Amino acid sequence: MQTTRRALLPWFVAALVPLGCAAAVAAVAGVDGPAAAGPVPAWALLLIGAALTVPAATGLVILRARPGNRVGWIMLAGPVPVTVAWLLEALGVRLADAGGHDGAAALATTLGMSLWPFLYLWPTALAFVFPTGRPMSPRWRAVLAATVAAAAVVIAGMNVAGDVAEIGDLTLPNPLYVEAGGARDALAVVFWTAWSVLLAGLVAALTSVVVRYRRARGVERLQLKWFVWGAALIPLALALCGVSGLVVRERTVLDAMVVVTVLGGGAALSVAVGIAVTRHGLYEIDRLVNRTLVYTLVTALLAAGFGVVAMAVGVLAGRGSGWATAAATLSVAVAFRPLRARVQRLVDRRIARDRYEGLRRMAAFEDALRGGDAEPEDVQAALAEALADPGAELLLRLPESGGFVDVRGRPWEGPREGRTVTPVHLRGEEVGRLVHAERLRERPDTLRSVLAAAALPIELARLRAEVRVQLAQVEASRERLVRAGDEERRRLERDLHDGAQQRLVGLGVALRRIQRTLPREARVLVPALDQAVGEVGRAITDLRTIAAGLRPPRLDDGLAAALGDLARAAPVPVAVDVDVGDDGLAPPVEVAAYYAVCEALTNAAKHARASRVDVWAHRRDGTLLVRVRDDGVGGARPGAGSGLTGIADRVGAHGGRMRIDSGPGAGTLVEVEIPCAS
Amino acid sequence: MRIVIAEDTVLLREGLAGLLEDAGHEVVARVGDAPSLVAAVQEHEPDLAVVDVRMPPTHGDEGMVAAAEIRERYPGTAVLVLSQHIETRHAVRLVAAGGGFGYLLKDRVLDVDDFLDAAARVAAGGTALDPEVVATLVAPPTREDSLAPLTPREREVLALMAEGRTNAGIARRLWLTEKTVETHVRAILGKLGLPVSDEDHRRVLAVLAFLRAAA
Repeated sequence: MQTTRRALLPWFVAALVPLGCAAAVAAVAGVDGPAAAGPVPAWALLLIGAALTVPAATGLVILRARPGNRVGWIMLAGPVPVTVAWLLEALGVRLADAGGHDGAAALATTLGMSLWPFLYLWPTALAFVFPTGRPMSPRWRAVLAATVAAAAVVIAGMNVAGDVAEIGDLTLPNPLYVEAGGARDALAVVFWTAWSVLLAGLVAALTSVVVRYRRARGVERLQLKWFVWGAALIPLALALCGVSGLVVRERTVLDAMVVVTVLGGGAALSVAVGIAVTRHGLYEIDRLVNRTLVYTLVTALLAAGFGVVAMAVGVLAGRGSGWATAAATLSVAVAFRPLRARVQRLVDRRIARDRYEGLRRMAAFEDALRGGDAEPEDVQAALAEALADPGAELLLRLPESGGFVDVRGRPWEGPREGRTVTPVHLRGEEVGRLVHAERLRERPDTLRSVLAAAALPIELARLRAEVRVQLAQVEASRERLVRAGDEERRRLERDLHDGAQQRLVGLGVALRRIQRTLPREARVLVPALDQAVGEVGRAITDLRTIAAGLRPPRLDDGLAAALGDLARAAPVPVAVDVDVGDDGLAPPVEVAAYYAVCEALTNAAKHARASRVDVWAHRRDGTLLVRVRDDGVGGARPGAGSGLTGIADRVGAHGGRMRIDSGPGAGTLVEVEIPCAS
Repeated sequence: MRIVIAEDTVLLREGLAGLLEDAGHEVVARVGDAPSLVAAVQEHEPDLAVVDVRMPPTHGDEGMVAAAEIRERYPGTAVLVLSQHIETRHAVRLVAAGGGFGYLLKDRVLDVDDFLDAAARVAAGGTALDPEVVATLVAPPTREDSLAPLTPREREVLALMAEGRTNAGIARRLWLTEKTVETHVRAILGKLGLPVSDEDHRRVLAVLAFLRAAA
């Protein structure tokens, strides 16, 4: 029961506003006497009712979304005294019109008139407490209290100060009038002091909003932006009315415009507050502020231009000429687009400076990219600069796997604490993500615009990343293949040495023992046994040769020893100069270099008809440099069937490269570079 | 003499032991890996250890490492290392470091007399270096100059000296008289500027040192 009543209370309060306004309309309906010229015609009451219902409804929405929210209650309750004021005035008119109730009519009118400060009081109170529902500090609470107290004094004073109530063309005596006599001057001082305090309170409320905005971060700042935007619409609308006054000269139309804009502004503020409290993340306030400013300025400038042109042409062509209006209209129409663009830029630069600068930075980056002065991967640095977030990290979405890597191609491990992730889209497809500071979410417009400007470089960077990833995979696989081949050869070589060869030696030794322990009469067998052992020895030598072909065992002694062996075995004189340091090379590098020299020597002996070969192998700055130069006929090409191609593959598998310089008749130089940083 | 054999192939190990015993030596221990070898040397303090380079568990060069350790800790025990293939990095250094060390390819065993001679030489404080290793020392491609003054015959003698052979051994090998060999040796030492010594081992070490330095 208790709960139900508490839940229903907002509905009752909200219902008071349209009901009260409807009652007021009903009250003045049919009045056509002298009181009908009173300050509230029926059409105005209807508008007022609608305008006052908006904040009440907003309050209701807020309270449903956030039960107990103070801002909601202020929105809900704020319009009630104003409704009461209009209702009382309407009643005054009705009573005066009916006649015979002059006292009651004057009382209702006076009371109603005195309540009008509430129209400003509740937005003022709202400004003090928005969005938390509390003043910023006890000091601000005191300021709010003083403002409310001053308003109370002003309201009381207004009830008792006037001796008559004016209703339309009627003038009735005010029953609340207090004839203070000698104290009147003192009371007047109190009244005007309270007035001053009330005005100061309005200023203080604005100050409060500004101070709060400066201190606010994140959501609160967003909410305040909505609030300020809504509040600023009222003076803006008034100013527009003023400008319009230069063009439209009909008094009643102007009055109607003022009423509509003031009340409409209040309604807009209400909606802004409602959005701020319940849906601040849903819409982009920065964009809204920006557009509001742009169109306000454009309208004002166009109106001014229209006036100036109309006046100037009027002077030339004679007043009231149709030419003046036509010229003015034409000039406004022509000026609209360029003017809007200029004003947009101006507003961007002044108001959304970060967005303006960010887009400028991205445009500069795109120029650099096109000019070849920047790499697509530099887009991360450009974004960090454009968004003023040095820690901004760009993730590229790989087209094939859909996985994310950073701009260097390393897999992403998830965002750090306190970082926010925003996806980047191009043609509806996610191309990457930006990991950025949380505060950038306060400026979604800037973030979105800058990311949109960066989408193309990001697309480029991610395609390049994909190529790099795939290339790295191919390279790794090639290296694995070569390594596996080497491992297999090494294993075979060991099996030969430790298996077959050992057994053969064991067999030979056994034969030798038989031979040496033969009884004298069996000595005829000695030559046969010698022959058998000789065969065993040759088998062992053969095996050793095969094993050496699988993997040169002299590599165990280092590259220098192995290349020395090669040189000795070569059919042409070979000079060897090897200096690869004392700490040795990685086995795969040694093997690759060994086979490169091996192939180059084979080539020199077989095809080049060389008479001398120089082998040079030195280690410099983490690279093994090998050069084999012969004085043969040249013309060697690494092509189909050439052993040199296999060498190029093997060297490439270790991240190295091979170069062949072999002009006809100029000898051949085979140069191999293999990274060997330890 | 008293001998320890370290060899993981049983057939070969027993064959070697038989050969050595047939020649009148005493095989005091037969082991199959490096730690057992060091333990056996410590226990028996033999005159000679015949060691396979590759042994379990890793089949790397643990035999060579154990050999170096034995030479250092048990100077009374000479070491003859047998290898499946040529590896000079440690071999030449250890052989040249002083007497009591030998390094041969495993199949040299089949030339039984030569093998027994090398074993005896090493046990007596001499050296034995495989001809293939000597070949890498004597005939590297870049080293034509330092041995240039030698005649072909003198080179042959030099190589046999480097293998660790005595004058008598060289004479047998080349079908020369010892006196002729002695003449060649003096000529070689003179041409290379090495100190003339009557002691075989000293001359071998000097020759090895020269070859290593030139390599």
